[in-house]
Amino acid sequence: MLEIIIIGTLKVIAVVVVVLTCCAYSTLLERKVLAYMQHRLGPIYAGPWGLMQPIADGIKLMFKEDIVPDRSERLMFMLAPIVSFIPALLVFAVVPFSSDFSMFGYEIKGVLSDLNIGVLYIFAITSLSVYGLVLAGWSSGSKYSLLGGIRSSAQMISYELSYGLSIVGVILFANTLSMTEIVNQQASFWDMFIFRQPLAFLLFLTCGIAETNRLPFDLPECESELAAGYHTEYSSMRFATFFVAEYGYMLAVSSVATTLFLGGWQGPFLPPVIWFLIKVFGFMFFYIWLRATFPRFRYDQLMAFGWKVLFPLALANTMGTALWVLLTDSVN
Amino acid sequence: MNLDTVIFIVSAVVAVFGATMMIAQRNPVASVLYLILSLVAQAVCYVQLSALFLGAILVVVYAGAIMVLFLFVIMLLNLRGSEDLGQPPKALSRFTKYTIGILMTLELVFIIKGAPLKAMATGLIGKAPDGFGSVEQVARLMFTDYLYPFELTGVLLLIAVVGAVVVAKSRKPGDPEETQTEETAGTNTNEAGS
Amino acid sequence: MEFQLPEINLQLMAPEIFLFLWALAVMAFDVTTKRKSSSTAGNLALVGLAVTGVIMVFTDQGRGFGNMFFNDSMAVFFKVIFLAAAFMAIGSSFGLTHTRILNHRGEYFGLILLSTVGMMFLASSSELISLYIGLELTTIPLFVLAAFFKDDRKSVEAGIKYLVVGAFSSALLLYGLSFIYGLTGTTDIAQIRSILAHSAVAGFNPAYQESTPIMVMAVLAILGGIGFKLALPPFHQWVPDVYEGAPTPITAFLSVGSKAAGLVAFAKIMIMGLYDLYDPSKAPNDWGILVGVMAAAAMIVGNVLAIRQTNIKRMLAYSSIAHAGYVMVGMLALNSLGLASVGYYMFAYLFTNMGAFAIVALIEDRTGSCEIASYAGLSKTSPFLAISMTIFLLSLTGIPPLAGFFGKFYVFAAAIKMAETGSGLTWIYWLVGVGLVTSVFALYYYANVMRTMYFVETDSPLKVTMSPMAVAVIVIGVVGVVVFGLNPQPIVQFASDMPAALGALLP
Repeated sequence: MLEIIIIGTLKVIAVVVVVLTCCAYSTLLERKVLAYMQHRLGPIYAGPWGLMQPIADGIKLMFKEDIVPDRSERLMFMLAPIVSFIPALLVFAVVPFSSDFSMFGYEIKGVLSDLNIGVLYIFAITSLSVYGLVLAGWSSGSKYSLLGGIRSSAQMISYELSYGLSIVGVILFANTLSMTEIVNQQASFWDMFIFRQPLAFLLFLTCGIAETNRLPFDLPECESELAAGYHTEYSSMRFATFFVAEYGYMLAVSSVATTLFLGGWQGPFLPPVIWFLIKVFGFMFFYIWLRATFPRFRYDQLMAFGWKVLFPLALANTMGTALWVLLTDSVN
Repeated sequence: MNLDTVIFIVSAVVAVFGATMMIAQRNPVASVLYLILSLVAQAVCYVQLSALFLGAILVVVYAGAIMVLFLFVIMLLNLRGSEDLGQPPKALSRFTKYTIGILMTLELVFIIKGAPLKAMATGLIGKAPDGFGSVEQVARLMFTDYLYPFELTGVLLLIAVVGAVVVAKSRKPGDPEETQTEETAGTNTNEAGS
Repeated sequence: MEFQLPEINLQLMAPEIFLFLWALAVMAFDVTTKRKSSSTAGNLALVGLAVTGVIMVFTDQGRGFGNMFFNDSMAVFFKVIFLAAAFMAIGSSFGLTHTRILNHRGEYFGLILLSTVGMMFLASSSELISLYIGLELTTIPLFVLAAFFKDDRKSVEAGIKYLVVGAFSSALLLYGLSFIYGLTGTTDIAQIRSILAHSAVAGFNPAYQESTPIMVMAVLAILGGIGFKLALPPFHQWVPDVYEGAPTPITAFLSVGSKAAGLVAFAKIMIMGLYDLYDPSKAPNDWGILVGVMAAAAMIVGNVLAIRQTNIKRMLAYSSIAHAGYVMVGMLALNSLGLASVGYYMFAYLFTNMGAFAIVALIEDRTGSCEIASYAGLSKTSPFLAISMTIFLLSLTGIPPLAGFFGKFYVFAAAIKMAETGSGLTWIYWLVGVGLVTSVFALYYYANVMRTMYFVETDSPLKVTMSPMAVAVIVIGVVGVVVFGLNPQPIVQFASDMPAALGALLP
């Protein structure tokens, strides 16, 4: 009993540390990739290739003045960054990051918790993520922030439908909601769900970008119109928390996409964890690439795209898949 | 006291606390937040009763979608504090509401003290069978025995959609065809459907 | 995975399915066609209702979807009432669609049809979940319909009030039903009844020496929920405002269709399911006396408050509260006459009230006012309307030989017969007494309207132009009231099948 608790705790700590580190270095990755795409160099002074830059940023933010505006709702203003950050971390509880392995004589599972409704759990958690932004926008007592909060709630709701429906196709094929089981079913290259559900993959990717409020769907925080939207009024570590949360969500969505569509940790030669990280950072690179390439959507375009294009496509994909499964009876 | 009991007590207390604070708040946003807190705690209770699917759906649908819409509407109306909620209630209505509240509480106390709960726990419902509350079980029930209410619910949602569109859409005679954005219709639909 | 589907028997719900699809077709038609007259959608809806009636004649009785859908004679009886109420409500709407409802006509009629579909599903549900969903199907379109004049504050207020009350009462009802499910472990009404009757497992004492608190809680919550739907005091406060603000044909539909739906729900849950808790010999412990108090309060409150009203819609609203009280007296008489008397009462009430509201709608279209004062001189300008209105009001009062009289007569007769059977039922005599006394009050305020129509002189008498459809509705009402008053036997015969539908539940 005690062993289980200790191993579990260690695993949790390890995952949290790795995720946080990945978040930090994702910021560096973003700046570097963006810079190279624009023929610049990006951060180079802090450490070799700017490797110490995230740490320098962290220290800088920590020593900034923490400003709480007079007209804000104090308690919620202070809670919002945390509310925003926690769901991002919670997602990793059910993401299988490796095959089962043994260490120091203990058999260790490659996932924190193999929930048999893992996919639903992820949905439950990510659907809570919007509250951080909404609360931040509302409690700041600023018009820009409020607009950002309203936009984010409308956007999240609109894209969550297609987001959820895009996964149904995978579930129908996999016949399970357990993340581990879904990974196990993608053992060989052509078994990856990206080949069986290409449309669902594209939909998931698109909605995932919208759910994380990244370009080209970053209307809740667009700098040019809303002056950073929901976190206009934030400074110091609270701002940093939002920043980390955003990257946390990107990592979470990337991990889920990896697990559901790209076979998770499956891969030849290299250790499973490395494969997992490669795939996840492939997605991260894709995110940044998109940011460097696309202009921002207009708000009505965003809504029209979500409801008139993505949603019908997702519905069609779901129904088509269900029909396919029914006709071929691939369930049994 | 094992871990299950501890988790149950904590989540039950949080759920009741959230629900109480929800109705005690005069700030609508705070009300919504307490309701979310209560819902999430209830989801934990469901999970403990091995109704995993129900718990997850509770969070996804209620805490994650419907409450967001509530917040959305409240923020659109920009209700900030007590000043938007009208006058404080009259003495008579306050008296009735407290009386009924106290009576209901007493009633609940009687129920909890009464025998039937024990009988319910041990006799009639008994132990949950294997796989109880799993997605498969719920789906099986929903699409076989309870197919009729399930289909009726579909009809209900359709009616709610129609109703929401009728209420939300405002077009005066002679006006040019108004291009209503989808998100309004969609959000109202969800609300009514809930 | 192997699935065992229950026996579905889709043909049993052919009327409901047809009407549902027809409602959708009416709405789709209205959206897709550009050139149409103001009454096309309404005519389509009427045709749909008529065809549904025909289909119903050819539909067998029986069970579908396992045990969840039960098309029994009670369901058929009430479905006829629902269809007729919808027919008359739509018939009296043509003035509105010509003058005030210029948009969404298809939705207006479609929603009435959908609400009717909900009532029909409700009437044939034999299980708590589908019963509840049927109730919601009934009320959700009515929320929208009550608020259909979006530029009229009163109408919007009516819609919102009805929505809030409806949501609250549904929550109460569900709360109670969940207790019942917890105690019995089933949602099937017949099974609930047999479990409550035969087993002590649920902690429920079959000897009824004491009602267990949880059952009391459940019964209270259910009574509260249904009380709201039926507008029984103390859950009646929403009625006048909603009835006044809603478009008049919708008010009529609310007062008849929605009320009948509430009665069906009451009959199914309380009488079919919880019959064994209504034990006359242990009067203080049962729900019978509770309902009795509510019914008495309804008769008193409705009739007394109606006296002071100057707006005819508010007056009819209070009178509908009173009539709910009378019906509940019949409901409490659990003998074979009881349910039949309720059925007859609702039939009489259907013709009377729908006809009266059709006239109110006509005059409102013309004058824009529902004040009783504006009816002055109606007998001179439009004797047909004045005479019809008089007949309806007399029937509402309960003057022989009109249908309303026999309604009250049967209800009270059934109650007295019940009171004679058991000891501890003397309160039923009191209930009947209250009913008789308050009927006298009713005469006062109904007569006031007649006086205004016939004897009050006015400088600017009304000129009412009548659409043929409205005339048809009024004529149907008058004929129904007179013919079924002079010869109540067919309907009594029809209604007396109902107790049999409750199985061998009733003595």
